Amino acid sequence: MESATKSFQKGEIPGIIAIDEATCKGCDSCKRHCPTGAITGMFGAVHRIDADRCINCGQCLVSCPFGAPFETVDAVETVLTRLNNKDVAVVGIIAPAVRVAIGEEFGLPAGTLATARMYGAMEKAGFKILDNNLAADLTIMEEGTELLHRIQGELSGGEAPEEGHGPLPQFTSCCPAWVRYVELNHPALIPHLSSAKSPQQMAGALAKTYGAQKIWGVEPGKVFTVGIMPCTAKKFEASRPEFISAYHHLAAGGGTYSGEAFPDVDAVLTTRDLARLLKKMGIDLAKEPGSAGDSVMAEYSGAGTIFGNTGGVMEAALRTVHAVITGTEMEPLEYRDVRGLKGVKSASVNLIDAKTGKALQVNVAVVHGLKENIGAIVDEVLSGRSPYHFIEVMNCPGGCINGGGQPVHPEGSGWMSAIAPLFAWR
Amino acid sequence: MGKKDYQYMENPFQVTRREFLSITGAIAAFTALPAVWVRSRVTKRNNYLRARAAGLYLDDRNAKIRVSHGNPVVTKIYDEFAHAPLSEISEALFHTRYINRSKGIA
Repeated sequence: MESATKSFQKGEIPGIIAIDEATCKGCDSCKRHCPTGAITGMFGAVHRIDADRCINCGQCLVSCPFGAPFETVDAVETVLTRLNNKDVAVVGIIAPAVRVAIGEEFGLPAGTLATARMYGAMEKAGFKILDNNLAADLTIMEEGTELLHRIQGELSGGEAPEEGHGPLPQFTSCCPAWVRYVELNHPALIPHLSSAKSPQQMAGALAKTYGAQKIWGVEPGKVFTVGIMPCTAKKFEASRPEFISAYHHLAAGGGTYSGEAFPDVDAVLTTRDLARLLKKMGIDLAKEPGSAGDSVMAEYSGAGTIFGNTGGVMEAALRTVHAVITGTEMEPLEYRDVRGLKGVKSASVNLIDAKTGKALQVNVAVVHGLKENIGAIVDEVLSGRSPYHFIEVMNCPGGCINGGGQPVHPEGSGWMSAIAPLFAWR
Repeated sequence: MGKKDYQYMENPFQVTRREFLSITGAIAAFTALPAVWVRSRVTKRNNYLRARAAGLYLDDRNAKIRVSHGNPVVTKIYDEFAHAPLSEISEALFHTRYINRSKGIA
C-alpha cells in the first residue's frame, strides 16, 4: 500500500472504501458509477480501488449488486463507549438527507420524514442534538456573503479581484467528494471553490466553541462531536488536518484553553452506521414518540433542510441573496428551475439592487452526478468562457439523498445516470 | 413406363400480404414487451430517490422559517459570538483552505 499515501496529508484516512476480494465477482458494475476511474480490474477478475484516485463518494458501494465494496472505517463502537461515559457530551450533528432515509432501516417507507423520531431516538441513546441544517444556514450566510464580495469585486472595474476575494464563478464546497475531486484533478479551480467549510465542519467548530461555552456549559475537550451523514466522504473530510480550528481558536485567540488538541469533528457515522448503533442499543426509531430537540442548536430553516437535494444549496442561497440585494423576500420562495433530476440545471435571476437601483443578473448552474455531467462545466471555467456566477456541485446523482452512506436500496442505487443512455426517450 | 401424372400442388403454408404484416406486427409487439417492462422497472427503481427528495421539500414547506437569514439562532450566533459573516472569528472557524493533490495521481 505504499502508493496509497501520495495524495494524502499526514493524519488523513487513506482509502475509506475497499472491495472485499471474496465477494467481488468482477461484474464491472462499480466501474460504471465511479466518477474518477479509481477502480481497476479486468471483467471477471477481482476489482481494486486506487485510494489515491478515489474521492470516497461510495457510489460503488451503494450500486454493487453483490455488496462487495465496504467501508474501512467504522466508528460505531467508539461512539458507543463515549455515549456510556457520562463525563462526555456527545453531540450528534445530523445532516439533512439522513432524516428522509433512516426510516428505511426501520421498516418505514422511503422518503418518510423522521426528524422528530430521530431526535427522540438519539436523545434516548444519549446524544445532544446539533442539527446540521443550522450549520447549513450558517453556510449560506458565509458562502452567500463571499459570493456577493466576488460579484462586487468583478463589477468594480473588472480589475483583479480584491485581496481575499476569489474569481468568478464560485463553486460550492459542501461536498467533500467534489472538493477532493478538484484538489486531485483540477487544482487550477481551487481559487474558484468557496472558502466556506462544509456544514459538518462548521457545526463541529461551532459545537466545541459556542456550543460548549454557551449552550451545554461543558469544557471544549469534553465535547465529542459525531457527524451523522449520508456520506462516506465525510469520514475522510473529518480527518483532514486543517480541521482542528476550534482548538486553535481556543488555544490561540481565546487563549484560555491549555488541554490536548482535538479535531472539530471526532467521529462520523453514516445513516447505515447510526441505524446499526440504535439497533445495538435496542432502540426502534419507528416506534419513538419524537422530540423537538434539547436546545436551540436544533432550530433550522427550510432553506437549510433542502441542502440534501440537488439544487437545494443553490435554492437556499438564492433566497438569501435575493433578500440581501433587493431588500425583499423572494416570491414565491420555491425556485423550481434548480429542482429535479436533470444532469445540469441552469437559471438566470434578475435582481434590482435596492441601494443603487441597478439591475444585476446572476447566472447559476447546478450539477450532480460528477461522472456524466461535470466535464463541460469544468472546461468552460478553465477556458474562461463560463457564463455563470455561482455553480453548485454534488458528486452523487440526486444529491446527498443518494449519498454513499445512505441505506442501500434492494434494487441498487445510483443507476439513474448509468442507465440514461439506454433509455433515451425517458 | 406409364405416363407420369405431374400435378401442380400449391404450397399449403400461404400467407397473404395482409396476414404477413399482422403476424410481423404481433411478433414485434411481443419483442417490445420486455423492453417496456424493463423501462418501468428502471423508472420505479429511482422512485425512492424522488420520495427522499420530496421528503426534504415537505420539511421545507412545513418549516416556520424558510430562509437562512431568518433563522433566529443564526442571528444569535452572530450577535453573541461570531459578529458577522467573514469576521475574524468566522474566518477562523467557518472557512478553510484547499491543497493541490494532483501530484498524487500524476
